[in-house]
Amino acid sequence: MAASISGYTFSSVCYHSANSSSDHEGFLLGEVRQEETLSISDSHIGSSEFLNVIEVHNHEPCAQLFSFYDYAGNVNEENLNRILKDRRKNVIGWYRFRRNTQQQMSFREQVIHKQLTHILGIPDLVFLLFSFISTANSSTHALEYVLFRPNKNRYNQRISLSIPNLGNTSQQEYKVSSVPNTSKNYASVIKEHGTEFFDKDGVMKDIRTIFQVYSALQERVQAVCCEVDQSERVREKIQEEVNKLKEEIALRKRNSAEEERRLQEAAAVTLPDNPALPDSSHSSLTQVMLSGPSVEPSLERPVNSSSPPIYSTTLLPDSPSAILLPRPQAVGSPGHPSPSLGLGNGDGSSSDSLNRQATGQEDQEEDDDEDSSEYENLVSEQLQLPSLTETVTLGRPATLWPDGDAHSPPGS
Amino acid sequence: SIVLHIMAVSAVHLESDAFLVCMNHALSTEKEEVMGLCIGEVWMSCVYEVDTNRIVHIHSVIILRRSDKRKDRVEISPEQLSAASTEAEISFEHRLADMTGRPMRVVGWYHSHPHITVWPSHVDVRTQAMYQMMDQGFVGLIFSCFIEDKNTKTGRVLYTCFQSVQAQKGSEYERIEIPIHVVPHEAIGKVCLESAVELPRILCQEEQDTYRRIHSLTHLDPITKIHNGSVFTKNLCSQMSAISGPLLQWLEDRLELNKHSIIKLQKEKERLTQELASL
Repeated sequence: MAASISGYTFSSVCYHSANSSSDHEGFLLGEVRQEETLSISDSHIGSSEFLNVIEVHNHEPCAQLFSFYDYAGNVNEENLNRILKDRRKNVIGWYRFRRNTQQQMSFREQVIHKQLTHILGIPDLVFLLFSFISTANSSTHALEYVLFRPNKNRYNQRISLSIPNLGNTSQQEYKVSSVPNTSKNYASVIKEHGTEFFDKDGVMKDIRTIFQVYSALQERVQAVCCEVDQSERVREKIQEEVNKLKEEIALRKRNSAEEERRLQEAAAVTLPDNPALPDSSHSSLTQVMLSGPSVEPSLERPVNSSSPPIYSTTLLPDSPSAILLPRPQAVGSPGHPSPSLGLGNGDGSSSDSLNRQATGQEDQEEDDDEDSSEYENLVSEQLQLPSLTETVTLGRPATLWPDGDAHSPPGS
Repeated sequence: SIVLHIMAVSAVHLESDAFLVCMNHALSTEKEEVMGLCIGEVWMSCVYEVDTNRIVHIHSVIILRRSDKRKDRVEISPEQLSAASTEAEISFEHRLADMTGRPMRVVGWYHSHPHITVWPSHVDVRTQAMYQMMDQGFVGLIFSCFIEDKNTKTGRVLYTCFQSVQAQKGSEYERIEIPIHVVPHEAIGKVCLESAVELPRILCQEEQDTYRRIHSLTHLDPITKIHNGSVFTKNLCSQMSAISGPLLQWLEDRLELNKHSIIKLQKEKERLTQELASL
């Protein structure tokens, strides 16, 4: 049983996850097939085996959690179809990205999985779990991933997921010298018949041909890239407009609520010489200010700018709040029981003030989208976790997870 | 007079679309280390004009060619760095200036450690120290990938950020850890997209250069020349199927996704506009 995912799809999942403040999930689209592999060994020639191959072609990210299921893990087929549309037939699995959690399916995930299996009619539906952990000071982060086959028996539950790549790009296969040969027959035959391969300039025809294929392909890549770029700009623009509208609406609602309150209080006052009106205009104003980007007030112009430093709070391009408030990628979603990994309390990060703001923002924005049932499986099972826990303290980590040939002992 | 205590970099903020390109690049090959430059800017925050926090903000990356492909020798020569920086500043400044209105420059480098631990080697630490001599805010990123724990069938990708320090004059350089945060960036920037699609071009360029050197050898017999031509063809095919193909697929998927998002956002915009009008 083998499974693969392209580096681009993998990176794309990481990218979507990085943009989510909470967990992220989606569907895996691709193909499962049986491949015949020919093996030629000394004992038999041409013995063939059948290998089940799972190929993930791309992913369909869900815009938010709970988009096709509820807190109890009941899957809503209508919502599912709305999300998948005609890609439903390409689904081979689903995935979830979580922070600071163990590499096991949670109870709710198992419930959802069973239902998806049934609704989608995919007996061997797979589940790809991404788990993100970081050192206390946020200098090092690890993304672990495991592909599960939950519908198979206990002993076949995990599959190795490979990421096909260029492999060996070294150019060692070129020959810099010919095998010495003084045979005149050899020389004359290969010269006479070999000329077929070369054009009048002595260049191999194949080279030109394959280069044309490459050029055409690269041109197409560029063209589609341009289209993607345009679509990104359009999307960015509309997103900004939507954000502005939301802000405007929120502002108006607050103002009208304040108006209402003031009118009511004015009506309630009976004694003319007792203006018991609290100064409420203040709070709405401060609220407005707070809703804007929380920028470190002393932030100055970047050092490398040629113009003199300007005291400015709006240096940043779109979504300033996002930039100055790094989503604590290194932090587990606040408010959740931190699992028994002991991976620091999650506020090891850059400057204190940034961190404070980051946590503050998190508390405001975060929906409590995970209830404790998600952590039902975080029992004291002794899992073979990497010794990432040893890297919690600053400085040199003791040992790390098993690696290949380390070319130097870490940090020594 | 004002005394400024310039601290080392206190944190690195890596925009998620730049992070995407780094990952793409790191995952492109498991047989050798890849590398590139980080483009962005440095923000200083001054508290009471005494304590200075330096935050390196990475907006995008440039994929580089490796001139020395020996194992463990990932480094960019100062000349290469300088040339790349100039080019970066010229091309990026022009493009990025339109969008952000701020000049960008080379603020660091990244490289990959396929099948190896994420920590920088002695060579990496020394290389980093060399870059810091030119720019003390220069940071190093390492992506470790193609790691698998055979027992638990768990795969891993790790990334770290570091700088180098010398405990005392003349002593060995040591790594210091720098906090790094991947910062959300909902849309993929133009510069990042362009960097991403450079990879197949760079790979082809490298192959062409090697082939040209081989081809210039005159003492090869026709069979050997045919062999070498086939190696070139084979390598280009590998590049197309391993890189160009998946890249194109991802671009197409992204385009689809954006189209759907735009439709949804349009609807939401209309709804909100109506709501606003009613208030």
